[in-house]
Amino acid sequence: MGDFSPYDDNGGTVAAIAGQDYVLIACDSRLSTGSTILSRFTPKIYPLSKMTVFACSGFHADVLTLIKNLEVRMKLFIHEHGEEMSTKAVMALMLPTLYGRRFFPFYVRPIVAGLDRDGKGLVASYDPVGTPEFFDYVIQGSGENLVHPFLHNQIGAKRTLSDVPVQAPPGLTLDKAVKLLKDAFLAAAERDVYTGDTVTLVAMTAKGTETMEYQLRRD
Amino acid sequence: MNPFNYNGGVCVAMKGKNCVAIASDHRLGAGRLTVSTDFPKVFEMGPALFIGLPGLTTDSLTVVNKLKFRVNLYELRENRKIRPHTFKAMVESMLYERRFGPYYVASVIAGLDPETDEPFVTAMDVLGAGEVNEPFAVAGTAEESLLGLCEALWEPDLAPEDLFETLSQVILNAVDFDCLGGAGATIHVIEKDKVTTRTIKTRMD
Repeated sequence: MGDFSPYDDNGGTVAAIAGQDYVLIACDSRLSTGSTILSRFTPKIYPLSKMTVFACSGFHADVLTLIKNLEVRMKLFIHEHGEEMSTKAVMALMLPTLYGRRFFPFYVRPIVAGLDRDGKGLVASYDPVGTPEFFDYVIQGSGENLVHPFLHNQIGAKRTLSDVPVQAPPGLTLDKAVKLLKDAFLAAAERDVYTGDTVTLVAMTAKGTETMEYQLRRD
Repeated sequence: MNPFNYNGGVCVAMKGKNCVAIASDHRLGAGRLTVSTDFPKVFEMGPALFIGLPGLTTDSLTVVNKLKFRVNLYELRENRKIRPHTFKAMVESMLYERRFGPYYVASVIAGLDPETDEPFVTAMDVLGAGEVNEPFAVAGTAEESLLGLCEALWEPDLAPEDLFETLSQVILNAVDFDCLGGAGATIHVIEKDKVTTRTIKTRMD
């Protein structure tokens, strides 16, 4: 009991891209503790409502508890207001939910992604105590350092001839975004032992949600 | 303070089709203080053989002098140019001699074999443990960024110009996220009978 720790790191990588008329969320499906693989198929993307999804790496038990908390709060919202929470409202809800545990935080790196009421993509990412960041693209988790510069280069068009984000949102199409995130996860799985098995991509547009799955390295 | 993060700096090398390229940044620091912005970490060991030595700069300079000495002796004794894989073995054994008090440098070697013109690239740690069967090699303070970018951007059989562009993008985007590296970069593209050296600009913050 003396060396008990209430936290573990179950690894994994999550990423998202917000487009003009879509949002794309991706995650790997490996769950590990140290050098042991706990599960090869536990995708880290969780639907919260018709318009909003949640993706999270970190300590899996905290991830599950956090989602339960969010679902309770979202249900209370429906009973009070007679409608589902908007994506922006869920993004705002994350801060008090996480900061409420300021002195015993959930060990999580969450991303909230979804569409606003006009069908435009929105992405927000948070640190374990709820500090929000709003970018057009984001990557968090164990493969973050490997892939972050790649996304800046390809989506942010950093260090290209003009240094102007030529293909960044709004110019980035959903097809191209899918290809980029697939490549990003292939690269992460190649070198990060906590990322692998499969990559799940969830594409959300006003027309509906499409889920894609591709194999990654399994070693 | 960690000797690997004291002076800062990165090196990266890549194989292409009948060519190799090696690059380093230009920053020399003392902790958070930038001392020089004109300090490449790649050194010439022969007409088509280069070594990059990011890490503790005082050790880099010692190691490069010792290596040049050993290479000169080898080439006088053998009366031929040293081959990259022989040079790799030389670096390996020299670093391992200091097993219990190592030089705080990582090494990246790039070259063309003088006999077969085969591209050669490798990286090793402070004790000389390395890998030879990789198409690219990275070392330094932005190691993870470099590795991720190489993995995503590299493709087989790059021509010299494409290899230069790919390696430029790799080092540029990696040092953008590294406060201990950057301040410009130098890239050597090594072909048979020709080495093209170019300097590129990066963010200066």
